[in-house]
Amino acid sequence: MKKLLPLILSSLTLLLFTTSCHEEPKYIDSPLGTFDALCDIVANRYCFLEEKNINWQNLCKEYRAKVKSNTKQLELFEICSDLLDELKDGHVNLSSGFTTSYYRKWWSDYPQDFNLRTLQEYYLKFDYYQTSGISYKMLTKDIAYMYYPSFSNNIGETSLDYILTLLSKSNGLIIDIRNNGGGALTNIDVLLGRFIEKEMIGGYIRHKLSAAPNDFSKPYPVLYKPSKKPHVNYLGRPIFVLTNRACYSAANDFTAVMKLLPNVTIVGARTGGGGGLPFSSELPNGWAIRFSACPINDGNDQITEFGIDPSPGYEMHSTDAQLAAGQDNILEFALQKMTDKIAKK
Amino acid sequence: MMNRLSLTLLSLLFLLNLRAEELPRPVASNYRLEIGSTSAISTYLSPLRYEGTQYRFGGEWSKAAQWNPENMIMDFRTGFGYSNMLNPTGTAQMLGIDGDFGFGLAWRKRLPNNLQLTIGGDTEIYGGALYLTRNGNNPVSILASGSLGLTGSISWHTAYKGLPILISNTLRMPAISCFFMPEYGETYYEIYLGNYKGLAHAGWPGNNFAINNLLSAKLDFGRTALEIGYRYDYRSFYANNLLASISKNAIVIGIIPNGIGLKKHSKINSSLY
Repeated sequence: MKKLLPLILSSLTLLLFTTSCHEEPKYIDSPLGTFDALCDIVANRYCFLEEKNINWQNLCKEYRAKVKSNTKQLELFEICSDLLDELKDGHVNLSSGFTTSYYRKWWSDYPQDFNLRTLQEYYLKFDYYQTSGISYKMLTKDIAYMYYPSFSNNIGETSLDYILTLLSKSNGLIIDIRNNGGGALTNIDVLLGRFIEKEMIGGYIRHKLSAAPNDFSKPYPVLYKPSKKPHVNYLGRPIFVLTNRACYSAANDFTAVMKLLPNVTIVGARTGGGGGLPFSSELPNGWAIRFSACPINDGNDQITEFGIDPSPGYEMHSTDAQLAAGQDNILEFALQKMTDKIAKK
Repeated sequence: MMNRLSLTLLSLLFLLNLRAEELPRPVASNYRLEIGSTSAISTYLSPLRYEGTQYRFGGEWSKAAQWNPENMIMDFRTGFGYSNMLNPTGTAQMLGIDGDFGFGLAWRKRLPNNLQLTIGGDTEIYGGALYLTRNGNNPVSILASGSLGLTGSISWHTAYKGLPILISNTLRMPAISCFFMPEYGETYYEIYLGNYKGLAHAGWPGNNFAINNLLSAKLDFGRTALEIGYRYDYRSFYANNLLASISKNAIVIGIIPNGIGLKKHSKINSSLY
């Protein structure tokens, strides 16, 4: 026992020294402490620094010079949000009790190419069905149309059954997702399942393995499965997906996946991007920050952060004047091309 | 000579064992309500430590083992907790829930002066979650582990103005475990897609340290006993450059139906003393 006692004591001492040695992040709730925490979080976790050729450390150094120990909250917020704007990412927000910052140039620098009132008045004639946030009707004898404005509207399987049953007599379908700023990725599964016959890889997702730059996991395939009976599918007929610059995040992902299907054509303008799944964190002064953390690439493992182009020969735009006059060029173009396609069949 | 000695010893052991076997081995049931403070951090959710209040309801059932009631005791316990915390500036709320199931088997030594010492092994399944209400795609930090560890206790019973009191301190520490932790920047969406790689980790006190200490006094009124105590519970999980840790301090109030047998001078083989 006398020999065992030192061994037990030394083991316990070793145990105490080896435990709880994982230090918690230490930030001070001060203007500089908050700024430094912001810089660290983005440096450690943001996923597109290399793709966007951003020297984050230099930017932090530059903006840190503007922060003083007595910088007021509103001024600090402006400095921090200006710094975050350098990421040029619509998924990046800084939220305080008084405001939330947004990077808006991903869509505000481009034509809108869409006017909801024009669509409803001149094309849907204020006469359409609506369920699960989806507006739909037969636009012509042959062409079905559905407008899905947000992936935040959960699509019910039963609702989708009704929609596709009512549109089942069509020979072509137009899915309009213009101005769709994204939402839940799981809604892509529900919608896409009606347009595919077999399981497919629609994209690849990665995540960071550590705070080190470019330390990413291997790409993990995002699988989509076809919807099975008794659900109603829409197969073997041409589908056009209408996009504009304001299609973002989940809408961007949906476009990327649909583009892989042989019977699908992307019509309109390049989407806004948002190909990184956002993460949240917070700063010592209580502000919240959201940022892209996990890149979701397309089915060919190509980056989608910068948007998805329309199919070759199908880029189209509408000026604000045309839209105000009741002319939606993208929809008109899609209707014409779809009519031609159906006629050729 | 040796044969006679052996025979005498065997007879003594048999008699002792028989005496122990003859004594009832009641289950000491203990139901506890715990209220106190807590603090938690999960760097998967936030770099800030949250603080608040916590509540736990639990039960513990112990008994002298059938095969060696003098020297071995068994213990089964379970509990469920809820905590409500705020970040240091009070701008965000974190909710925590957890539950544990444990089974312990300990060697017991009754010492002079009403002292009892136990030391043994313990196995535990623990599960819980920290929910940061304002986070989007990473709102929850799941905490889960299965562990094998050590447990020990010391207890002493005395009386104050005729009221029997059992004072005890019980300590538990896992030694090896298996615990859950997502990879550094991995979302639950990716796990939902089926990527389960790197989620389970082998644990030792260097990456999955936990300590649970309960200091309490049981006041035996005869038909029932009241327990008043203090519990310190700390758990930490570290893997994939992520840290989650929860620290709890609680006032414990427990009820032991039927008492612990000291007041009634019951002829029982209690696991508690």
